[in-house]
Amino acid sequence: MDRNDHATIQAVLSGDKDAYGALVAHHSRSIFRVAYRITGNEADADEVVQDAFLRGYRKLESFESRSNFGTWIYRIAVRCALDRVSRRGSASGRASAGTETESEAVQVPDRAPNPEALLLSGEIGAFRESAMHSLTPLERAAFTLRHMEDCSMEEIAIALEIAPNAAKQAIYRAVHKLRQRLALLKVRT
Amino acid sequence: MSHFSGEELIELYYSEDGSEAARHMDACTECAGAYEALQADLADLKPVELPGRSEDYGEQVWNSISGQLPAYVGRRRPWFRQPLWIGLTAAATCALLVAAAFYAGRLWEHRNPPPAVVSHAAPPAQQRVVVVVLSDHLDRSERLLVELKHANADDTQLATPLRDEARSLLVANRKCRQEANANGDPALITALDHLSQLLNELANQPGGLNADAIGRLQTQMNQDGLLFEVRVLRSRIPKHQAEANLHLKGGIA
Repeated sequence: MDRNDHATIQAVLSGDKDAYGALVAHHSRSIFRVAYRITGNEADADEVVQDAFLRGYRKLESFESRSNFGTWIYRIAVRCALDRVSRRGSASGRASAGTETESEAVQVPDRAPNPEALLLSGEIGAFRESAMHSLTPLERAAFTLRHMEDCSMEEIAIALEIAPNAAKQAIYRAVHKLRQRLALLKVRT
Repeated sequence: MSHFSGEELIELYYSEDGSEAARHMDACTECAGAYEALQADLADLKPVELPGRSEDYGEQVWNSISGQLPAYVGRRRPWFRQPLWIGLTAAATCALLVAAAFYAGRLWEHRNPPPAVVSHAAPPAQQRVVVVVLSDHLDRSERLLVELKHANADDTQLATPLRDEARSLLVANRKCRQEANANGDPALITALDHLSQLLNELANQPGGLNADAIGRLQTQMNQDGLLFEVRVLRSRIPKHQAEANLHLKGGIA
């Protein structure tokens, strides 16, 4: 498949734009998966998929033939998702400016209903999602890649363009915060 | 016993090799309990099912973005990166390097002339001529001596050619003797003296060369070992010639 990808890329770079459609068709679903897990939102995930393939197309000339296109576009998608979550957090942060502490300003506000309501409706998944929203974009992305995508620490560091130790710390913080949220839920039940 | 910290437990959860930690857990109920709690919490955070996407999702994505993508204009390399130009450039570079090396060599040679070889100067042309003459003389002398050695004493027809050749060789022998004397080569002088005596007798035998004279000269030649002596001298000549040609050492001997 990689050989096909490389041949397709050569065709695209030679002027066959439509050949890129084959790459999009082949990798869209895996890109959607990671985009959804990081953004936690279908619409955002769809936007990330499109944005990733657009960016990939524009940077295709810099793609090195010895690389794997799937891995390459995956990393682009991770950064697109991270950007989207960050923008979303900034917008929400501006909207609620003055009501949060400085440390909370970068976090996405918890817009989920209270735990009782969640339990009553049996939507434990929604609570989990709200817990995820309590993480910073970087923590959320790092945790998602490690916990749900089974990426290695090195892969995470490359995808997020940070040092491996920073990736590790982001995951520790994410797990710590999520467990605090879960503990709160368990106490209330 | 030290217990695992929260970070260590998380690292343990995601690490592939937890054998050492597992042994600690067996002995430490506190850490084992903490680790179980972490496992339970993280299990609750396992990914939920993804929203479904149709089989033609990729096509949908492509349709939504294809309008925004400009086609790459066939990737033509700039003229200076075309294979032909690259080859020509490489060839020109090589030619330039060769020319530069040649010019530098010439310049260096011009500024640093080779030192004059005083002790190994080329032998003068006259000496080279003498060497050639000596070689020719010894060659002819050897042939004469061989003929004399194998001559039938009763063969009167052989006498005249032997005498004529001996007379001719006497002149050359005299010149070679003078050169050998000038160069101070005792071995050559001795051999040429012996040869001179024999040639004299061959050339000036009173009453001509008869059977007795030929037999006597054959005996004399064998006693003196003259043929062997001449052959030895001849074997030295090529070495001298080579040395003369190499301009290393001149001289007859």
